[in-house]
Amino acid sequence: MAEPATTGALNEQQVLLSTLPPSRGQQRLALATILVLLAAFCATVPFATVPVGYIREFIPAYAAAMFVISSITSALLFVQFSVVHSRALLAVSGGYLFSTLITVPWALTFPDLFGATDMAGTTWGVLSRIWHLVFPLSVIGYTLLKDDEARTAWPRALSYFAVLLSAAGLLVAFDLVTGLGTTTSEPMPRGSPFSMLDRAQADWNALLFLLALFALALLWSRRRSVLDLWLMVVMCGLLIELCLITLVGLRYVVGWYAARVYFLVSSMLVLAVLLSETALLYARLARSVMAQRQEREARLITMDVLSASIAHEMNQPLASIVTNADAASRWMARPTPDLDEVKATLEQIRNSAYRARDLIGSIRAMVKRDDRNRAALDLNDLVREVLALTERELQRNRVSVEVELEEHLPLVNADRVQLQQVLVNLITNAIDAMAEKKWPRILRIKSAVQEPDGVLTSVADTGKGIDPKIVDRIFNPLFTTKSNGMGMGLAICRSIIEGHDGRLQVSAGAEGGSVFQFVLPATIAR
Amino acid sequence: MQDAPIISIIDDDESMRCAMKSLVTSLGLDAYTFASAEAFLQSPHLEHTSCVITDLQMPGLNGVELQKSLLAQGRRIPIIFVTAFPEERLRARAIEAGALGFLSKPFESETLIKLIDKAIETGRKT
Repeated sequence: MAEPATTGALNEQQVLLSTLPPSRGQQRLALATILVLLAAFCATVPFATVPVGYIREFIPAYAAAMFVISSITSALLFVQFSVVHSRALLAVSGGYLFSTLITVPWALTFPDLFGATDMAGTTWGVLSRIWHLVFPLSVIGYTLLKDDEARTAWPRALSYFAVLLSAAGLLVAFDLVTGLGTTTSEPMPRGSPFSMLDRAQADWNALLFLLALFALALLWSRRRSVLDLWLMVVMCGLLIELCLITLVGLRYVVGWYAARVYFLVSSMLVLAVLLSETALLYARLARSVMAQRQEREARLITMDVLSASIAHEMNQPLASIVTNADAASRWMARPTPDLDEVKATLEQIRNSAYRARDLIGSIRAMVKRDDRNRAALDLNDLVREVLALTERELQRNRVSVEVELEEHLPLVNADRVQLQQVLVNLITNAIDAMAEKKWPRILRIKSAVQEPDGVLTSVADTGKGIDPKIVDRIFNPLFTTKSNGMGMGLAICRSIIEGHDGRLQVSAGAEGGSVFQFVLPATIAR
Repeated sequence: MQDAPIISIIDDDESMRCAMKSLVTSLGLDAYTFASAEAFLQSPHLEHTSCVITDLQMPGLNGVELQKSLLAQGRRIPIIFVTAFPEERLRARAIEAGALGFLSKPFESETLIKLIDKAIETGRKT
C-alpha cells in the first residue's frame, strides 16, 4: 500500500527529466527556440552561398564546444540512467557519448586544419555522416524503448557495468569506423569548394535527413517528458543543419558555417535547459524533504498533545467513578441506607466505566490500521446503509434528507465498518449542528466521480456552520465544541479516510451550514 | 431545608456533576448543578450559595474567569477548583485569587468534604 499522500512529497515521476511532464512555459520556450532556428535558417538561405573564406579556428573551436556540450549531456543522462535503469536513457546517453568521442577524430581529420594532405577529406565526410547516422538512431532507440519498458530492478553494480560496457563498445566501434575512414579515404582536392558534394553524398544526406525527420516525428508522437521535448529541439537543429549543408553543397560559405552554428546553439540550449531543470528539481526535492520533516515534527507535537489529552479524558470517568463510589458508601452508611441513591450511583459508576472503555476503543481505532478488512465497495450502497441506520435519529430530530447519488460510481477498496463509522459520525455531527436551529433542517448527501481517479462523498447540513476561528482545529484529537463530546469523532474520521489514502475536508455551505466531504481513490472502474 | 447550606457544582461533564451532587447530598447538604459558568451566574441559587465547586476547563467561561467575575460582583463565595488537567500556572492564579482549594481529578472524596466543611465554617463566621 502506498503511504498516505503528503502535501510536500514528490514522487519519482516529478523528479526525473525523463518522466517529468514539461510545463507550459517550457513548451513555449522549446517552440520559440524551434521558430527562431527556422527563422534563422530562412534568413540564411538567400546568403547561403556567399563565400566567407576559410577560418582556421572555426573547426577546432566548434569541435571543442561540441565535445564539452555532448560530454556533459551524456554524463547527465548516464546519471539518470543509473537511477532509473531505463534502457531508453542508456540509448540516448550512449548516442551523446558517441557524439562526444567522434568530435576528436572529426576535428583532427578536417582536411585544411593541419595542412595534412595525407589525412584525407573523405574521412572527415565519412565521420560526419556516421555521426549524423548514429545520433538520430540513438534518439529513435530512446523513443521506442521509453514507453513500453517494464522497469527492471537492475542491481546497482550492473548499471555501472552497463555504462562502462556501452562506453567501451562505443570506443571499439568508433576505432573501427575511424580506421575504416582513414584507410579507405581518397585524397580530397583542397580548397576546391564544389568538390564537396557528389551524387552519392547527396543521396547520403537525403537519407540522413529522412532519418532525423523520422526521429523527430517519432518523438512528437510519443512526447511526454521534458527530455522528449528538448530532444525534439535538438532534432530540429540537426534537420536544419542537414538542410543547409545539402542545400549549399559548398564549404566555407555562409550556409556551411551557419549550419554548424545553429546545431551548436540548439545543443547548447538543450544542455542549459537540462542543467537548469536539474537544479530546479534539486531545489524542489530539498523543499519537499524539508516539508516532510516539518510534517513529521508536527505529527510528533500532535501526539504529545494527544497523550496529554488522553490522560485528561481518562481522568474524567475515573474521577466520576471514585466520587460515586465514595458517595454510594456514604448513602449506605446512613442510619437508614438510601438504597435508591446507592443504585443510582452504581449506575453512574457503570456508565463511567463504559465511557472509559469507549475512549480506549476509539484511541485504538484511531491508531490501528488494518488492511485485512478491505474489499471493493460501492459508496452509494454504503450511503444507503448508513441512512437506514440513522433514520430514526434523523426523524426524531425532524431532519429531512436529500440524497444525490451518481450512478455507476467506480468502486473503492475500503473497510466497510470504518467508512460506516465515518459516515455515521458526519451525519450525527450534522444532526447536532442543526439541533439548535429551527428551520430548515436539511441533510444533503452526495456522491460523485472526482476527476481524475477519485470518488467524492459529501455530507452537508443547514446548521449553524463552523466558526472560521476554529475551523483549523476541528480535526484535532479531543477538540470539541459539544458539552458532552470527547472530540475524537472528526479526528478518527480523518485518520480513517487518510488511512484509505483519501482526504477529508470541510467547507462552508452555500446557504450556511457546513459541508464535510471526503475523496477516496477509485480502484476498480465499472 | 432552607437552613441547609447550598453547594453549587459546575462541571461540563455530566457524570462528574452527578457524582459530586450525590456525594454532597449524602452529607446532608443541598446541591445544585450547572453545565457551565454562565448558567450558574444567571441562576437564582447564586445568592444563597455557600460554596462553589467548579471545573477549571470548560467551554465558555472557565473556572478562573468565573472566580474573577464573582469577585467583580463583590461576591466572596469560597471556591473549590477541580480539574482533570492540572496546569501549574492556572493553579497558582486560582490560589492567588483566593481559591479555597484546588483538586486534581480523580481526587479523594475526603479532601473535598474537608474543604466543603471549611467553606461552610467560614460562611458561618462572617
